[in-house]
Amino acid sequence: MSASLASECNEVKERYDNCFLKWYSEKFLRGTATSDECDPLFKQYEKCLSTALKARGIDSMLKEARDDNRENDAEHVRPNR
Amino acid sequence: MKIFQQSSEFDYTWEEVSISNWQKYGPWNEKTPHVVAVDTLSRTVDPATGILRTERLITCKQSCPKWVAQILGSPDTNYAYETSYVDPKAKRVTICSMNMTMSDLLSVRETCVYERASSAPDAKTAFSQRAEITALCGGWQKIKNSIEQFTVDRFQQNAARGKEGFEMVLEMSRKVFAEQRELIRMQQDSQILQQLRH
Repeated sequence: MSASLASECNEVKERYDNCFLKWYSEKFLRGTATSDECDPLFKQYEKCLSTALKARGIDSMLKEARDDNRENDAEHVRPNR
Repeated sequence: MKIFQQSSEFDYTWEEVSISNWQKYGPWNEKTPHVVAVDTLSRTVDPATGILRTERLITCKQSCPKWVAQILGSPDTNYAYETSYVDPKAKRVTICSMNMTMSDLLSVRETCVYERASSAPDAKTAFSQRAEITALCGGWQKIKNSIEQFTVDRFQQNAARGKEGFEMVLEMSRKVFAEQRELIRMQQDSQILQQLRH
């Protein structure tokens, strides 16, 4: 897996990434995922990352990108045709 | 605006490709050193469609030629915003990304799709990539054209390296899975042997 832009988040990121990959390959793709057991790890990683994004001023750039991305969501998250 | 597009196939199943896609920029890929970090910002499964939506922030370090840097004042760290959509029923991964850095001067929007290849749906995966590149900076059309062309050329180089790198990841991933399966099989065999001895 890849590193985090904030080295202080690398450890928790790795734990989350490994958990996700297992969930994705063993449950999500097989259609047996009922809940996301990696969520507690994601919350820890997210907490670390959001502090780092704020400190680097990336959070405001991100807000713009999210606004620009709305049309992609509208196009790609919709029921099967 | 300039458009870059290409399509190709991978000799791996859609499941293998879709799993390895999450490891694309990891240590198994030696061809994309310009991607230095990949962070997940959010991840949700849409209850109505079952589609997994992931938001990621990609950090790249790639220097521009001097003339581009002089016009755009480009920093050495660039950020890209990516949303991906995995539809497990249709067996399709769609990845949309855009540049966050210098976005007031240059717009790069890319869409990649991985789906089962129509020629061999259970063995191969089709990949298609399309990017729209638009210089937004003021000034002469000639300069805008040069900036767009430079970006298309860079895209082409990165796309070729990206495919080579992804092939390395797919190969490693298949090896590791085979080893894990072998390990589990050996453990099971030894359990059977132990039980026989008792």
